[in-house]
Amino acid sequence: MNAIQSKIVVKVSNFRMDFGKKTVIKDLSFDVKKGEVFGFLGSNGSGKTTTIRALLGIYQPTAGDLLVGGKTFSVSSGLKLGYLPEERGLYKKESVIDVMIYFGQLKGLSKKDARASAEAFLTRVKLSDKATTRIDKLSGGQQQKVQLGITIMNNPELLILDEPTKGFDPVNRRLLMDIIEEHQRGGATVIFVTHQMEEVERLCDRIILLKDGVSHAYGTVDEVKSAYGGMSLDDIFIKVYGDENERNEEEA
Amino acid sequence: MYNLGTVFRFEFVRTLKKKSFWIMALAFPLIIGAVFGIIYFSNKASTKAAEDTKNQKFSLVVTDDSGLLNKALLAQFGASESTDKQTNIDKVTSGALDAYFYYPKDLSKDTVQVYAKDVGIFNDGRYEGVAKALLQQSVGLTVGAQKTAVLQDGVAFNSATYRDGKQFDGIKEAIVPGIFLVLFYILIAMFGNQMLVSTTEEKENRVTEMILTTIEARTLIIGKILSLIALAFIQIVIILVPIILAYTLFHSQLALPNLDLSNLPIDPLRIAIGAVIFILSFLLFTGLLVAIGSIAPTAKEAGGFFGVVMIFIFGPLYAVSLFVSAPTSPFVVFLTLFPLTAPIPMMLRNAVGNLSTTDMLLGVSILAISSIIALSIAIRIFRYGVLEYSRRMPLSAIFKK
Repeated sequence: MNAIQSKIVVKVSNFRMDFGKKTVIKDLSFDVKKGEVFGFLGSNGSGKTTTIRALLGIYQPTAGDLLVGGKTFSVSSGLKLGYLPEERGLYKKESVIDVMIYFGQLKGLSKKDARASAEAFLTRVKLSDKATTRIDKLSGGQQQKVQLGITIMNNPELLILDEPTKGFDPVNRRLLMDIIEEHQRGGATVIFVTHQMEEVERLCDRIILLKDGVSHAYGTVDEVKSAYGGMSLDDIFIKVYGDENERNEEEA
Repeated sequence: MYNLGTVFRFEFVRTLKKKSFWIMALAFPLIIGAVFGIIYFSNKASTKAAEDTKNQKFSLVVTDDSGLLNKALLAQFGASESTDKQTNIDKVTSGALDAYFYYPKDLSKDTVQVYAKDVGIFNDGRYEGVAKALLQQSVGLTVGAQKTAVLQDGVAFNSATYRDGKQFDGIKEAIVPGIFLVLFYILIAMFGNQMLVSTTEEKENRVTEMILTTIEARTLIIGKILSLIALAFIQIVIILVPIILAYTLFHSQLALPNLDLSNLPIDPLRIAIGAVIFILSFLLFTGLLVAIGSIAPTAKEAGGFFGVVMIFIFGPLYAVSLFVSAPTSPFVVFLTLFPLTAPIPMMLRNAVGNLSTTDMLLGVSILAISSIIALSIAIRIFRYGVLEYSRRMPLSAIFKK
């Protein structure tokens, strides 16, 4: 793992998020240090995606400060961001290479660099023969790879991945893990939302567990494990969210 | 506006690559071409048929109780006279006679009766034509050419009207400022649906989050609008070029009127006002479309709202005569100053020259404010509404953000 620096890249303080009368996040504070892989954990509906959307300015927070690089995020801030949202999608009627070049250019690359970056990625993930294929002609897994390629093609300083392995087979999951590690070694900060505890064990330096709109546990992986008497992360997850999942199932 | 050029190019090129764009763009000139072709061949066939009919001789008997028919003319037409109406009708019925015309004593009360052998629906009309010609030419011989011209509405008039001490031709004056009205109509007809589809596309493709963390919503929207304007102009050129070529090369064959555009009056002030109204109306309309596209989860659902906007914008066309004849009526003033209905009345009244200075200033101000509000709200709705992928975003939720 890359040496984690003390510099804080992401700082969330007293974040609250209401949707109408429903409070999704009550009071959340945490920070992410430069160069670390930060695991963002929680059951479905615990507010992980909401927090990321608020961090990236897609949602306006009800209260609190969400800072990226010391200021509220804006697309013109100059930060090299790679964001893979939970909600996946691309311009389906366009070719793979056209969409990748378009996003590359939007992320500040020249057309030539965007094409080179796209072609290199497609070769790596064995999709170079699909470069001129329309997105909607690709399988779901292939589309996810293209979206991942778009996410990292500008060599981001901050990489936010919201359940990136969802829908991936083990081979592609391994590929994704390798890519995340490469970027971390290259100095990128990674925020990683997942339900896969083995991924957390392998990649994350620090984690936060979100429950009922507040932080339930926060620290290094070892610190969190120690706080639960040395339990595995899987067991911790079941202990923390087991009741909630049962309740959700009963409600369903 | 960083990346505006990138958005413009991407949106422009990918639309140009779509088959639907070219089908839509080429369908109109092809239809126009087909219509012109039909007109051309129909005119040619009609002329030939008329010529054939004229040269055809048929046996004709006439009973003239009116006393108006000229004997020499009857002879010229090869017609013979008879007083026995029923016998001649029987002859026509049996096929022994081609045609029999009965002219009653009082033509102002009774009808001329034409009995004739059927020669097909397109040629049967020739009998009435001959019956009429016989009567008109006979009467014409008794009153002279001048009175005949008066009676047959054959007198030409040349009018000169004046306003503020200068010659003023209302119709010619309206042509140049009226172009904005036509342009507005064409642009919306071609651009409207594309704008709607283009706005809902990010939502339908679930690509909103990636886009909004890469580019400002405002830049994306403006890039889309600019690309669609460029595409609409390409479509206009594709439509107009064949029409202009067809008119220039074949206007006499197509029996189209000669247009002399060399002495069209140019009123710079009215043209400038027309341009301002056109731009503001277009911005207002675009803002509404973006807002609709951002609220609705799919282009299909957005289409319903689009219909309502179209009713507001083009509904005033039903009151066109009122805009010209009663420009100061409260109803016309209301339609002129109500933002959603203002574009058509303002452009039309400006074209015909009855848009008062007060109405113009008020209308332009209202349109300008409405356009800014509509576009700002639209961008806000796009910013926050497009994340509601599968449901329609309540407006209250957007404005609370």
